[in-house]
Amino acid sequence: MLKIDSTEQLLRVAALVSAVIAVLILIWYLLVRPPLGRSTKIVLLFGLGVMPLATSLAGNISGFEYTLQRSFCGSCHVMLPYTQDAADPTSHSLAAIHSRNRAFGEESCYTCHADYQMFGTMTTKLNGLRHLYYYITEYANTGPYGEGGKPIHMYKPFQNAMCTRCHSTEAPRWGKVDDHAAALDDIRKGDTKCIDCHSGEVIHPRAFAHGGNGRAPARTASNAAPAGAAKE
Amino acid sequence: MFSVTKITIRRLVLISTITTLASLALMIASILAPGPLLLVVAMSLGQFFGTASLVLYLLAIVLDLQGYGEHDEFGSLD
Ligand code: HEC
Ligand code: HEC
Ligand code: HEC
Repeated sequence: MLKIDSTEQLLRVAALVSAVIAVLILIWYLLVRPPLGRSTKIVLLFGLGVMPLATSLAGNISGFEYTLQRSFCGSCHVMLPYTQDAADPTSHSLAAIHSRNRAFGEESCYTCHADYQMFGTMTTKLNGLRHLYYYITEYANTGPYGEGGKPIHMYKPFQNAMCTRCHSTEAPRWGKVDDHAAALDDIRKGDTKCIDCHSGEVIHPRAFAHGGNGRAPARTASNAAPAGAAKE
Repeated sequence: MFSVTKITIRRLVLISTITTLASLALMIASILAPGPLLLVVAMSLGQFFGTASLVLYLLAIVLDLQGYGEHDEFGSLD
């Protein structure tokens, strides 16, 4: 079941091995109940401290990698309008265009939403729990795409930095777009946001928040699949 | 203040052992079958209980090293 061909899998094996060692030590203690002498204390320190810490460290790293995957985002059904659109080879949305780029790949949600608190670090743990709580209490049984739930919004406004780490605003062709040239200083200062113009259905067209219905839009002449895209 | 006996210390260690086992079970499950629910629970609650039980254990050791319960009648249970 566990094949070792990446660091992530190596970490998972390491996490498992240290967890099993800890479990063996603890079961031994529960069965034998030896007096708390110096050597028992040291053995227990391994079973209760060192080994579980190693497990959670390795588990954290591989778990973190796992949460970056688009499939993880899509595992809560309310994200399907986003993930299915991003994976659709015929979609013209910015999320899909970016997802088709190899540099985004399977981690495309994370690449644009790197400041989203479900990813990484300590605060994630509490936020993850909070998300799970909302998901269960407010979005369970809301239909296949979460249409019955409250509209989804972001905790904090989308920062230009999330776009400008790739689109530097320095490229000549980018500067030739009239709307960019007109607002250049304000964009660089952050007073004008990229998402003032590049937002809503342009990014996530199937989202209920932007007038979508969760599903792929019906094909019309104006949004026909680009030449060369997979035929439906 | 309640008095700390050898029994208290052994109970602390026992509680710590059981909560650690529970959190290890969560973590092992989340590694073998990584799903969003398990993963989030294991990475938050699991690690919280794991850490809390280590703190309990260290507390027990400190109490023990300070000689609590050395002279109570249950001392011989050790
Ligand atoms: C091109 C960068 C980009 C990619 C890739 C991307 N997003 Fe977004 N996302 C945005 C922007 C920008 C907004 C804010 C849109 C607005 O406020 O109008 C947003 C908003 C959201 C929101 C808040 C609700 C809403 O619709 O405004 C959710 C949820 C979301 N994205 C999920 C995802 C998921 C899941 C993926 C992976 C399939 C993803 N995003 C991929 C840029 C991106
Ligand atoms: C990780 C780097 C990266 C980030 C972050 C990023 N982009 Fe892009 N963007 C690209 C790349 C690369 C392309 C070219 C895509 C291709 O052709 O494969 C692109 C293309 C585009 C295009 C042109 C699409 C077209 O139809 O040709 C727009 C518009 C755009 N990005 C806007 C944004 C906005 C707005 C944000 C912030 C929400 C953003 N990008 C975030 C790398 C990024
Ligand atoms: C005032 C509105 C406005 C703002 C603000 C704005 N854009 Fe644009 N952007 C446009 C328009 C209009 C176009 C050209 C039509 C199109 O492609 O949608 C464009 C085109 C682009 C393109 C494709 C142009 C090219 O070089 O091929 C990229 C990439 C892009 N914008 C990124 C950004 C980023 C990143 C930000 C924030 C730093 C931003 N835009 C802010 C209106 C805006």
